[in-house]
Amino acid sequence: MTAIEQHPRHRLDELLQNPVRFSIVAALDRASTLSFKEVRDVVEITDSALSKQVSLLEGAGYLAVGKSFAGKMPRTSLTLTREGRAAWKAHLATLREIAQGLS
Amino acid sequence: MSDTTPVAPAEAQALLDRAEHLSRSAHNATRWPYITFILALGVATSMGTLAMGLTTGNAFGLAYFGTLTATFALIMFFMITIRGRSAFARGRRWTAYIASWFVTYAAAISVVIWAHGSVLASGITSALILVVTMACAAREARS
Repeated sequence: MTAIEQHPRHRLDELLQNPVRFSIVAALDRASTLSFKEVRDVVEITDSALSKQVSLLEGAGYLAVGKSFAGKMPRTSLTLTREGRAAWKAHLATLREIAQGLS
Repeated sequence: MSDTTPVAPAEAQALLDRAEHLSRSAHNATRWPYITFILALGVATSMGTLAMGLTTGNAFGLAYFGTLTATFALIMFFMITIRGRSAFARGRRWTAYIASWFVTYAAAISVVIWAHGSVLASGITSALILVVTMACAAREARS
């Protein structure tokens, strides 16, 4: 193992290094479940951009996407999965390690 | 950022700050209807069960219908407020809060049915509803 490989940045989650995906998961950290609209408003991005990143996070098993109807209006909910929470915690722990200059 | 992009300590700290800010903003924007509801539900049912436990005749009827009306109005207000929202929808915390309220409310209603007129039993069970719901609201407000 080389010195470069030991740097904590190599442990950062590849998927969560994208700023939008990082923001989506951050928004869901405390609330656990939010509607698509609530996440869009907090992260401040367009529906299509959010939809694209949500699909990637869902594909990785980090998010569960729920579909329901409120009357005739479709409602989409986003829930941080156990796997997603674990990845998020590990990502934050690595960032803390880097921030403290422990590398 | 990839493996070839170094993450400086200052950048890592900025990301941590952003994560904290986003997490808190999202939670703050969604939790207040839930906190208000659980608090109001606790107050209404606590006062209602106390009044029902200690009154008879017309006064009991008034307390009964007053509690039902207040609870119904609260639920309607809550449903309208959270329409289109998904926060807490599958949350274990929210389920635990409602379950805690229900257990204490069931105890208070049991006193109304089987120990009607007992000031001590009514006082304890009604106070328990208030304490439990206030604790749930406080926990959510401080999270």
